[in-house]
Amino acid sequence: MTASRRRRGWFTLLAACVTFAPAAGAADGQLNFVGCPIVRDTASVPCWLAEYEGELYFLTIQSDVSAPVTPPWLGHRVLVEGTLSSEPRICGGVVLKPVHLSVLPERDASCTTMLPAEDRYNLTFEPPRPPGPSLGRLAFDAGPAAIAATPAIPPSTREFVVSYAFDGLVAFNHAAVLSEVLAFATAVKAQSIEIVGYRGAVRLSNGQTIVEEASIDRRRAEQLAVLLRGANLTTPEYTVRWEDLSTGATGVDDHLMRRAVITVRR
Amino acid sequence: MFLAPCRRSAAVACLSATFALAVVAAQSRPSDVWWAPGQGTPFAALAAYPNDRGEVGVLNASGPYETKGHPFFEPIGTNGRACITCHQPADAMSLSLRSVRERWTATGGRDPLFAAVDGANCPTLPAADPRSHSLLLERGLFRIALPWPPRRADGTAIDPEFAIEVVRDPTGCNTDPMYGLQSPNPSISVFRRPRPLANTKYTTHQNFGVGPFVTKNGTPAAIDPATGRPTSMNLMADARVPTLALQAQDAARQHLQMAGSLTATQMARIVEFEQQVYVAQVTSSTAGSLVEPDGPPAFGPRNLAAGEAGVLGNNTTRFVFPLGARWGSGFGVSAEDPRRAARESIARGHDVFMFRTFWIRDSMHLNTVGLGNPTKRTCATCHGMHMTGMDTANGWMDIGTTNLPWASEVPLNPWNEAKPQLPLFRVTCKADVRPHPFLGRVIYTQDPGRALISGLCNDVGTIVIQQFRGLAARAPYFSNGSAATLRELVDFYDRRYNIGFSEQERQDLVNFLGAL
Repeated sequence: MTASRRRRGWFTLLAACVTFAPAAGAADGQLNFVGCPIVRDTASVPCWLAEYEGELYFLTIQSDVSAPVTPPWLGHRVLVEGTLSSEPRICGGVVLKPVHLSVLPERDASCTTMLPAEDRYNLTFEPPRPPGPSLGRLAFDAGPAAIAATPAIPPSTREFVVSYAFDGLVAFNHAAVLSEVLAFATAVKAQSIEIVGYRGAVRLSNGQTIVEEASIDRRRAEQLAVLLRGANLTTPEYTVRWEDLSTGATGVDDHLMRRAVITVRR
Repeated sequence: MFLAPCRRSAAVACLSATFALAVVAAQSRPSDVWWAPGQGTPFAALAAYPNDRGEVGVLNASGPYETKGHPFFEPIGTNGRACITCHQPADAMSLSLRSVRERWTATGGRDPLFAAVDGANCPTLPAADPRSHSLLLERGLFRIALPWPPRRADGTAIDPEFAIEVVRDPTGCNTDPMYGLQSPNPSISVFRRPRPLANTKYTTHQNFGVGPFVTKNGTPAAIDPATGRPTSMNLMADARVPTLALQAQDAARQHLQMAGSLTATQMARIVEFEQQVYVAQVTSSTAGSLVEPDGPPAFGPRNLAAGEAGVLGNNTTRFVFPLGARWGSGFGVSAEDPRRAARESIARGHDVFMFRTFWIRDSMHLNTVGLGNPTKRTCATCHGMHMTGMDTANGWMDIGTTNLPWASEVPLNPWNEAKPQLPLFRVTCKADVRPHPFLGRVIYTQDPGRALISGLCNDVGTIVIQQFRGLAARAPYFSNGSAATLRELVDFYDRRYNIGFSEQERQDLVNFLGAL
């Protein structure tokens, strides 16, 4: 498939999922847009940026798998859901913080921009991790967790929230929460597991609303059940449901809709 | 530790003056380094075998090993092979192309090594004809036949995310009416190198990065049926069996053509042997002994036996392959010593491995795990496990060794008579699954790798990272033997990631890898 055909495919897909409403621009501090990511080299780790309406925005820097915000991918567009920050520009970009980034699944061969390092855009702070070997710990390793008081009686029910990228399913960063589900369910000898998958939408700053693919809520729920059963969690009775929340996009915290909730009961 | 070089007759055990350890060594390779099934020779506690870059050391950590009657060393199947056939001590417990060719010459192709089941390009081809065994004789590759569609551990079929077609079948096996994709028992034949069966506490560790769900994609990790614990799945190129015991069982049936199954005792004895054998280069032909007292703590099998398994070394506190202070200042020899320049080169190669950044891009299960695409990193990013350079987590990735456009292909033109040797498959990801993020919906591959086990589109062409030890003893490299030398291996990475290594960097990296 050629690059232009791929682009047409993406726009066709987007058009099918887009509705329009009055623009909710950056005035409220929230900026949501879809664009090509840009990587800029520095004397240390690279910066990740994106351009929107003639302005360059800083998204994140490269660190490692422990980072709360991980860089997007060239070759794919990125959905940016960020809040304008008053921090000084980084790598020439207006800082969005907090920011949620979703690599969109469809390939886009037009997203190829790599900028060379320039002295004026070098980082003015020490990154959590250099581009090579670490100093002996992961970039965002919080160290030993504080020991929580163990409840005399473990809770009989616990809810786990699985958050997703736009149109996303389970990925590398879900191994931890799935392991927690498995550990709790095993510890309490769970009798039932209820999984509810949700489909979301995002109201962009240009007034458009993009909606996740039609079956994503169901796919999320069913995939989680398959994975948990695949990890030998076969004793509990599974209830799998899904719910479409995609009419509720406001442009603020829309990423919270993209989730699944796993309720484990003893 | 000091391993005294034995310069006496070839392949004759001799005693190290320092530690009274048995050593087998010679400068030129002797004819009898081949360990034949059932030969019954006691296996020395520490043996050294020559190779082009020096000597590889094989350590039996539990002491001299009795091999007579041992199921690893005896031909317990029906074709005359034993485990030792493809896991030769002189080849770092793997099998070098050099050994393959020597056996062909010595036996006229009648060694059990060349058994038709997998030592031929296809079992239907005429025996003892070198053309029937070209992949083994030219690239050190054995045929691995895998069922299609893939099957779970319980035997049930997996509904794969992709369709697969045979585009090119130079061996004839993938279109064979008895063995091919359209046969009564549909299977896909891929061709792979045997991996070293040594240093196994690293290849089977249950430490950092190993949990119930794979940290590359969130799928459930394979469970060790004996313990109920998740495994690293780093033992085999496609992670199809997760433990030494299951690998032994699988190999006995597939490669030794054992009629039944291994007994529990046989399995336990094989595993017990594999858990105590360590290999690493011990001598460099240019840098001298790699295992001098207080020498680099990365080198030699004793350091491997003592090392901590399954921990990250991609850091400046532990290092992947620590060279230690002594090689950091003075290199243990005088400035005039001819070994000095070679040791300096090895140390520079280490620094290239650890600190030379380049842009890694479009590599499935590396760029997709939170680092971004591309990511500016070093060799040690992926090859991060302390002492082995494996992945600590479940380590299958696609760096392009089998997937087009990066896999090595024969240039087709009117002036070149060479023909492609490996099969080529067209994989088409089904419409209801996401396309591969870097290769799209249609992928051409010489070996779908992990995807033939998982059935996942994103796993096409992913191969489990293997350990870096004993490399000098076991060319060629990569799962499909596409790099004939360490130089070709380095050149592949340079081409794949547009690294731009200088000639000095290439030579230093080769010297470093050859010392491991």
